[in-house]
Amino acid sequence: MRNAAVVEAILFASDAPLTADEIACAEEALDEDAVEAALAVLKAEYDESGRAFELRKVADGVQLMTRPEFAPCLERFDAVAPPSRLSGPALEALAIVAYRQPVSRVEIDYVRGVNSTGVVRTLLDRELIRVVGRGEGVGRPVLYGTSSKFMEHFGFASMDDLPRPEELPFVLRERPPLRESTTPSDPEAGE
Amino acid sequence: MTTSAVLSKLGVSDPSVATDLLFIETDRFNGPLDLLLHLVRIQDIDIFDIPIARITGQFLAAIEQLEEKGLDEAGEFLEMAASLVHIKAGMLLPKPADDEDFDPRAELVSRLMEYELVREIASRLRIAENDRCHRFGKGYFPPRPKPRVADAPLDVTWEAVFKAALRTDPPKEPRRHRMTPRSVALKDKVKLIVGTMRKVRRIEFSKLVAPWKQRTHGVMTLLAGLELGRRRIVSLKQRKPFSPLWIYRGENLNGNGLERESRSRKQGSPGLQAPRGIE
Repeated sequence: MRNAAVVEAILFASDAPLTADEIACAEEALDEDAVEAALAVLKAEYDESGRAFELRKVADGVQLMTRPEFAPCLERFDAVAPPSRLSGPALEALAIVAYRQPVSRVEIDYVRGVNSTGVVRTLLDRELIRVVGRGEGVGRPVLYGTSSKFMEHFGFASMDDLPRPEELPFVLRERPPLRESTTPSDPEAGE
Repeated sequence: MTTSAVLSKLGVSDPSVATDLLFIETDRFNGPLDLLLHLVRIQDIDIFDIPIARITGQFLAAIEQLEEKGLDEAGEFLEMAASLVHIKAGMLLPKPADDEDFDPRAELVSRLMEYELVREIASRLRIAENDRCHRFGKGYFPPRPKPRVADAPLDVTWEAVFKAALRTDPPKEPRRHRMTPRSVALKDKVKLIVGTMRKVRRIEFSKLVAPWKQRTHGVMTLLAGLELGRRRIVSLKQRKPFSPLWIYRGENLNGNGLERESRSRKQGSPGLQAPRGIE
């Protein structure tokens, strides 16, 4: 029981999702399995007693979060930071990064048909994407990938929570790699 | 480039097509692909068989209002218009002999489809974001953009700068240490002195140093002599400054002084006890 209380204390005090092994650092008696067990106890307890918050898996960790039905009340308070929403272009660019990572800005530009410099900078500033390396080719362009903040922002438990391409109306999973030439890609590839 | 000129070149100047032009608010679109996709979708056009001429006409009409805006925004739309015209031109030309399936529209189609996919993903992300926005973590603060250096207020007086400058320590010059490895071992000189002392009762210091020219031999021999003197293995005698330095047998010469020395060296402690002075 003490384990559950310790884990609860840590989750209560934390402002970011924590993984089981991070929580396990708190005390000698805790290991990852003990933390997982404690988390299960807490989750059941919160759900059964109808607490205003619940234990949610976010960004490969867990976090205490209020249940959605209390959102309207919370939004009235200045002391509660209002959630920030991304613009349409930012979401488009983020979608491209999420599915094509690692991806260069030129590729984002190509898919969107619009210069994405500003949008990419915004996403970088908000730490939703990060530089993951440099690509081959002219100028060795910087390549971007999503960060754990990305999962936090959308409340994804893991990257598996992204909508899978086969669920989507169009299937373009096997898009041929972006070519330098203007050789047209096979229009039937999508079917 | 005027719309009508392009349209007439494309052979779409006939009224039936012209009246087909749609009123489009370009502001609403996130770029030319978005606009193009919109045109295709609202007219229920088969994406694999896009009537390029009609779409081009509509596209050009839609972007006409853009020309009043900055080139930055219009540029991407104009580029797309140009490639639409390019595609139309390609379709008028005979197909390459080696590729019967060649369709100049193919790249555009795949781009449109991919863009539509991206839009779909973006809308799903929006749904997820909305759901996430209704859940509050204990400290979910959207990351604040870092203030730029240029934005920092510069309301510092000269005195404050001067005071701050006085508070800081002057940069220390990097210290240079010269390390010269000892080419002569103290141990060898100890052996030399002890060996000599076993043969003779006393010896003059300069005789011990004589065989070597380098000063370091003299230094090490002296150090060895002082150390042995401290341990009373030898005793050192000098009548007055700069007179010959004599080394005599000491009371511990045949004792265990050397052993004790080596043991103490292993333990890393320097001398055994405070020297009582050198005679």
